[in-house]
Amino acid sequence: MTERSPSKRRLHRELLSLIKEPPPGVSLDAEQIEQNLFLWTIHLEGAERTLYEGESFQLQFKFSDNYPFDSPEVIFTGEHIPIHPHVYSNGHICLSILTDDWSPALSVQSVCLSIVSMLSSCKEKQRPPDNAFYVKTCNKNPKKTKWWYHDDSV
Amino acid sequence: MGDEGETMTNNVSENSEPTANQDELILAQQRQIEKEISDNIPLVGELDSVISLNKEYSTDDIYLEKIKDLASKYSYVRRTRPDGNCFFRAFSYAILEKLLCDKDSFIKFYKIAENSKNVLVELGFQQFTVEDFYDTYMEVLKRLKDIENIGEAKKELHNVFNDQGYSDYMVVYLRLLTSAQLQKEHDFYSCFIEGDRTVADFCHQEVEPMYKESDHIHIMAACSALNTGVRVLYMDRGTGNNVTKHDLPEGCSPTVHLLYRPGHYDILYP
Repeated sequence: MTERSPSKRRLHRELLSLIKEPPPGVSLDAEQIEQNLFLWTIHLEGAERTLYEGESFQLQFKFSDNYPFDSPEVIFTGEHIPIHPHVYSNGHICLSILTDDWSPALSVQSVCLSIVSMLSSCKEKQRPPDNAFYVKTCNKNPKKTKWWYHDDSV
Repeated sequence: MGDEGETMTNNVSENSEPTANQDELILAQQRQIEKEISDNIPLVGELDSVISLNKEYSTDDIYLEKIKDLASKYSYVRRTRPDGNCFFRAFSYAILEKLLCDKDSFIKFYKIAENSKNVLVELGFQQFTVEDFYDTYMEVLKRLKDIENIGEAKKELHNVFNDQGYSDYMVVYLRLLTSAQLQKEHDFYSCFIEGDRTVADFCHQEVEPMYKESDHIHIMAACSALNTGVRVLYMDRGTGNNVTKHDLPEGCSPTVHLLYRPGHYDILYP
């Protein structure tokens, strides 16, 4: 058998695939990720002809050694957090595939695509209505929030 | 005493302040329950007599009557862990166990499994995520195929299905095959889905994620994906003294027999 654990093997495969065929607007620093396969920083460009055109963002992915059975912990990091009804000012994202609807058949790539599409379909830049309360009370780990997914249209 | 009372009151008012995080408490409790289940119940258990079910219902006459009826039709039950994956785990275990006694059918099954990856990729599943599960699935099938002695092979099957790493990979792959089947025949299955969800949405939310429980529609699609039939014996607190049986697909000669109690599937043996 291989020396790598299943989660490392899987993450390595994902990394190679993302380097080879990155989805539009997605880029990463492979060397940095090779240093620690369980913590990725991904750069995201707002898609053209959307409210976020010209803006760039950073996503942070944290993986457990039970990945891909456990979903990754995904947040926006850095100076610039997108203003969006499903993105809290601390970088937490309300997106069902990150918790309830996560499946081991999903991947870093499919999460990135979902987030890009979530941004692209936004019609009005605003924070979630409960932003102030949530940011004050939530755990640092967004997976410790019981999310209510009430609106798929944004 | 007085002091204690006061502390209690303080705690209560603290908890009702917006700073208390109820989500974390709920999730922590959920994790605790899951841990208790996984510590105490193996993924797939040993054979047990059907009568052993009596222990779980010692004061429930309706169930005791139904167990009597069940025992007239089946001798043994093999329990699975109630983690939401029980149908998929029980179903694939039971099919493979059956196939181990019939080499020709096993080879046929193996050949179909070999081609299944292409079907999934054609449907739009990402190649490397599918491969991850496909490779392990085929590794297990090959390992079982290569064991000559049936008793040894059954022991290996049991070990593999109780090794979480392998067992969950088998579950995921069967979930993917089931999802693929639903999407391939979406016209047929769409009438079984309530609300305005599409078949694809349903698959992403109720079939592909781990721990999501299975319903009729999952079973029909899984049977059709693996080209096999299953008989489900329903045992609940409904009226009558008998368990009710359902063959899926209707009119099939079932290879696998499962016991259904609300929310859970176990394997039955004659």
